[in-house]
Amino acid sequence: MSQNTVSTTPDRDAAETAPDTMVKVRNLKTYYDSGGLFDDRPVKAVDGVSFDIQRGETLGLVGESGCGKTTLGRTLIQLEEATDGEVLFDGTDITSLRGDQLYEWRQNAQMVFQDPDSSLNDRMTIGEIIREPLDVHEWKTSADRRKRVKSLLDEVGLSPEHYYRYPHQFSGGQRQRIGIARTLALNPEFIVLDEPVSALDVSVQAEIINLLEDLQEEFDLTYLFIAHDLSVVRHICDRVAVMYLGNIMEIGPTEELFTDPANPYTHALLSAIPKPDPTASRDRITLHGTPPNPRYPPAGCPFSTRCPTRIRPDEHEELDDEVWEGINGFREIIRERMRADRSIRERLRERIGWETRFATIDETYDELFGDLTVPDDVEAVLTEVAEAAGNHEEREALDRLNTEFGSVCDGVDPDGGDDPVEPEYYEVSDSGRLSYCHRHDDEHRETATVLDNRS
Amino acid sequence: MSTRQRDSTDEFEEPDDDTLSRDRIRENPRPAMVWLGGLAVLLLLEIGRVFAGVGQLFGIVGFTVELLASVPTSVGGNVGGTLGSAAGFVATAITAILMAFAITVPVAGSVPDGAVDVLGLDLSRRGHRWAKRAELTFVLVALAGLIAYTPFGGVFSALIGAITGGVDALASSLPAITSRDLIPNTGHRLPEGGWEGTFLGLSPAVAWAIRTGLVFAYATAFLAWMWRGFDVYRTHYRLADWTPRDDTVRRFRNNYWGLFGFAIVFVFVVLALWAPAVSPVEAQHNIYEPNAHEFEYLSDDGEVTSTTHVFANLQSRSDGQNTIGPMSYDDYGRWAPLGTTNRGQDMMTHLSHGARTSLVIGVTAIGLGALIAVVLSLLSSYYKGITDIATVMASDTIQAVPALLLIMLVSVVFQEADHPIAQPLDGGLLLALIFAFAYWPGMWRSIRGPSLQVSEQEWVDAAKSYGQTPLQTMRKHMAPYIAGYILIYGSLLIGGVIISTAALTFLGLGINPPTPEWGRLIDGGQSYVSTDSWHVATIPGVAIVLVVIAFNALGDAIRDAIDPEADVDESEAAATGGGA
Repeated sequence: MSQNTVSTTPDRDAAETAPDTMVKVRNLKTYYDSGGLFDDRPVKAVDGVSFDIQRGETLGLVGESGCGKTTLGRTLIQLEEATDGEVLFDGTDITSLRGDQLYEWRQNAQMVFQDPDSSLNDRMTIGEIIREPLDVHEWKTSADRRKRVKSLLDEVGLSPEHYYRYPHQFSGGQRQRIGIARTLALNPEFIVLDEPVSALDVSVQAEIINLLEDLQEEFDLTYLFIAHDLSVVRHICDRVAVMYLGNIMEIGPTEELFTDPANPYTHALLSAIPKPDPTASRDRITLHGTPPNPRYPPAGCPFSTRCPTRIRPDEHEELDDEVWEGINGFREIIRERMRADRSIRERLRERIGWETRFATIDETYDELFGDLTVPDDVEAVLTEVAEAAGNHEEREALDRLNTEFGSVCDGVDPDGGDDPVEPEYYEVSDSGRLSYCHRHDDEHRETATVLDNRS
Repeated sequence: MSTRQRDSTDEFEEPDDDTLSRDRIRENPRPAMVWLGGLAVLLLLEIGRVFAGVGQLFGIVGFTVELLASVPTSVGGNVGGTLGSAAGFVATAITAILMAFAITVPVAGSVPDGAVDVLGLDLSRRGHRWAKRAELTFVLVALAGLIAYTPFGGVFSALIGAITGGVDALASSLPAITSRDLIPNTGHRLPEGGWEGTFLGLSPAVAWAIRTGLVFAYATAFLAWMWRGFDVYRTHYRLADWTPRDDTVRRFRNNYWGLFGFAIVFVFVVLALWAPAVSPVEAQHNIYEPNAHEFEYLSDDGEVTSTTHVFANLQSRSDGQNTIGPMSYDDYGRWAPLGTTNRGQDMMTHLSHGARTSLVIGVTAIGLGALIAVVLSLLSSYYKGITDIATVMASDTIQAVPALLLIMLVSVVFQEADHPIAQPLDGGLLLALIFAFAYWPGMWRSIRGPSLQVSEQEWVDAAKSYGQTPLQTMRKHMAPYIAGYILIYGSLLIGGVIISTAALTFLGLGINPPTPEWGRLIDGGQSYVSTDSWHVATIPGVAIVLVVIAFNALGDAIRDAIDPEADVDESEAAATGGGA
C-alpha cells in the first residue's frame, strides 16, 4: 500500500500473481432475469470476464452503449449480484459476502454515478448527503462528522458554507463534485467511476477529470473508469479494457492499445475517433448492423456478426465483401425469425396469404443480394437456405449456412466437434496485452493485414 | 483501512457560523420567546377546550388499545374452541408476540445502543438490530402479560382511570373564551321583555353570533400565529437560507383557487373542532337525549314554563306544513340560525356535529388507507419482483368489487353481527375502516408509478452502495418523494369519502341515528324541497358540494405547489445558488 504511486508505466508486470493486485476478477458473469416466471433466457449483460486491477492504477473500461460496462462496474461494488465467477478484493471473494461482512466491506469500494441530477437526493442538504455514509457507518461523533464533511467540501473545490444548501442550487459540475465528496467520505481504496463526466459540459469535464486525478494522487485511490469518450480514457487511464457484448475484447496499457490495436473491435472503435488530420490515411471502419441482443448472443465469438475481419472458409476467401455482408445480414435475419414467436393471428394471415410482419424471405433475399453479382455456387447455396427459411425451417437454414460459410469465428469447430468454440485470450505484446480473437492464432493472418487487404 | 485514514479534518478550521438550530435559539432567544409566549396566551384562552381535546384523544387511544388488546384473546378463543384450551393459550401468546414485534420494528431504531450492550453479547450490526427488536418485544409482552394476568392490571387501569378522570374534570372546570358558560345563548324571554339567562341579557341570536364570531376569530388568529412561527423559524433559526419547501409555500400562496379551497376546508375543520361552541343548543340536549333534558320558555299565556326538548322538537319540525326557516326563533324561543330539520332538531347543531362525523371518518379512512398505500408502495418498489406482484394481485382483487357495493356488504355484515367495532359513532368508525380497506388499492395504484420511478434514481443505488439499510433508504430517499403524491390523492379522495358517507346514510345504511350526519339531513329533507321547508335538504347539500370542491381545489393546489417545474422561468433559486 505504501509503495504505490500513480502508475503510468505501461510495461508493468500484469501476471496474475503480481503482489500489488487489488481486484482480481475471474470469469465473472452477471445475468438479468427479465422477471417473468417462465422465461429462462436471461440477458447476459456480463458474460464471463477476467481481469486484474493493480493498486493505484486507473483501468479504463470502454465500449458502446449496452455492452455491459456499467453492469460490470456495479457488480464490482456489489450493487448487482454476480451470477457466476468471483471478484477477489485483496484476496476476499466479495461475491460471497453477506450481511455484516458486506456492510463492512462496502467502506472499501464506492461509486461515482453518471448522472449528477439523479445521484443526489434533492430533499436533503449537501451536508446531509455527504454525511450519510458516515452516519451509516457510525463514524466517530456527530461533530466530527460535520467537520469531516466540511473538509471534504473543501477537498473537492466547494466551500464549507455550502453545507446547508440544497442540490437545486448547484450546477451539474458542482453536483458531480458533491457526489465525489460523498464517495470519498468513507476513505475508500477503490472507486468505480461510471461515466462521471459524460453528462457535463466539455469545459466542466476537464475540471472534474483534473479533480479526480488530484484526488487519486492525494488519497492513493484505485479507479475503474467507465467511459465511452475515448479521448478522456486515453488521457486518464493507465490501462484500458475494451468491452463488447459482455466480453472483454482487448485489455492492455493505454498508449499501446491506442496506437497499435490488436483486436478487430478495437480497430473499429478507434477508427471512430475523429482525426484532426483530414488526409489521414486509414479509412474509417464502418460496422454493419447493430450489436446482437444480449439475450441471444451469437455462438462463437461475440463480435462475429459484425466483424470486418471475420475468418472465412478458404474456398470462399475471394468472395466479394458486399456479398459477405449480405450473407452476414441474411444469417442475422434468419436468427431473428427463429426467435420471434408467431401469434395465432399471424399464422392465420400467413395461411390465407395475407401480409404478415414477417416479410417473405424472398423479399429479404432480393433486398440483400438483388444488386450484387453472386457466384453461381454461392447463389445455389443461398437459394437453398432461403427455401428452408421460407418453410420456417430456420434451424436447417442456419445449419446449411454454417456448413458452407461458417468458420471458427461462428463457433464452428475446425476439428468437427459439436460444441461451439469460443476464441481465447492471446497475449499480443510484451506488456501482457490480451486480445480475444482467433486472428492471433498462428493459422490465421493478423487483423491489421486483413484490414489493409480488404479495404 | 484505518491505517490509511488520512485525517485531513485536522487541517481544517471550524468556521464560526457552524451552529445548530438549538445554538442559534440560545444566541438569539427573543423571537422564539415572543412566539412561544403568544402561543401560550392563545392556548390559555382556550385551556378548557385544550383539555377536552386531550381527554378525547385519551378516549380514542384507549379504545384503540383495548381493541388491539382484545385481538390475541379472541384469536386464542377461536383456536381454543376447536383445538382445546392449551392450543388456545399458545395461539394467544403467539398473536400477542407477533403484534408486539410488529410495533417494535419501526421504533426499535430509536432505542439507544446501551439497551442491548447491557446483555453483554458480542453482536454484529444486524444482530444488534434484531436484539433491540427482540428486547423491546419482550418488554412489551411482559408488560401486557403483567396487566392482563396479575393484580397489577387492576392498579394500572385504576391509574389510567384517575388520569382520564382528572383530565375530564379539568376540561369541565377550566374556562375557555368560547365556552357556553362564558357566553350563554340559551335562555327564555321575560314577560316584561328582554331575556333571562343569556350573555349580558342579549338576545340568543346576538349571543350566539358573538360566540361563533369569537370561535372563528380565535381559529384564524391561531392559524396566523402558526404561520408566524414558521416565519420566525425561517428568518432567525433555520440553517439553510433556502429549502425546496420555500418555493412550495410561495407557489401555494399565489394560487387563489387553492386558497379558496383552503379557506373552505378551514371553515369546515373549525366547524367540526368547535362544534359544541357554534351549536346554538347543546347536541346532548337537542339530538342525543332530547327527553332527558328540560328547558324554560315563555309560553303564550305569559308564564315561564318548562318542557323537554323532545316535545318542543315535535312542534318545531320543518316538514312542509310547518317551517322554522333560517335566521328565526321557534315557538319556544330557541334560536335556529339555519332553521330546523324535518325532525325538529336544530340544523346548525346538526350541521356542525355532522361535520365532526364526516371529518373523523374522512381523516381516519384516508389516513389509514394512505398509510397502507405508502408502506406497500415503498416495499413493492424497493424489492420489486414477487412483492410487487403480490400487492398487484391483492389490490386488483379488492378493486374488482365495486367499492360502494363492497362497503355496503361489509358494513351490513358487521352491523348485523353487532360487532364492537360498529359501536363508535353509530357505525362511523366501521365505515371509516371499510373505506380505508376499499380505497387503499386506488391510492397505492396512483403512487406506484412515482415510487417505482424514485426507486430507480441513482441516489437509492448510492445509498445501497455505502450500506444504508433498506428501511432507512425507503424513509429518507423514497418516502419524501411519495409524500407529495399521497397528499394530493388523499385530499382529493377525502371529498369522495365524505360524499360516499353521505350517500350511504342517505340510503339508510352507513351511520345510524342519533349520530348527526349530513346525508341523513338530505334524505329527511328531500321531499320538502319544493315547499317552504326547502332549507332542510338544500343547506347540507350545498355544504357537501362546497366541502368536496374545496378539498379538490386544495389537492390541485398542493399538486401545483409541489411541482418544481411549475415555475421554471422565475427560478430565483438557481440565481441565489452559485458559489464556488
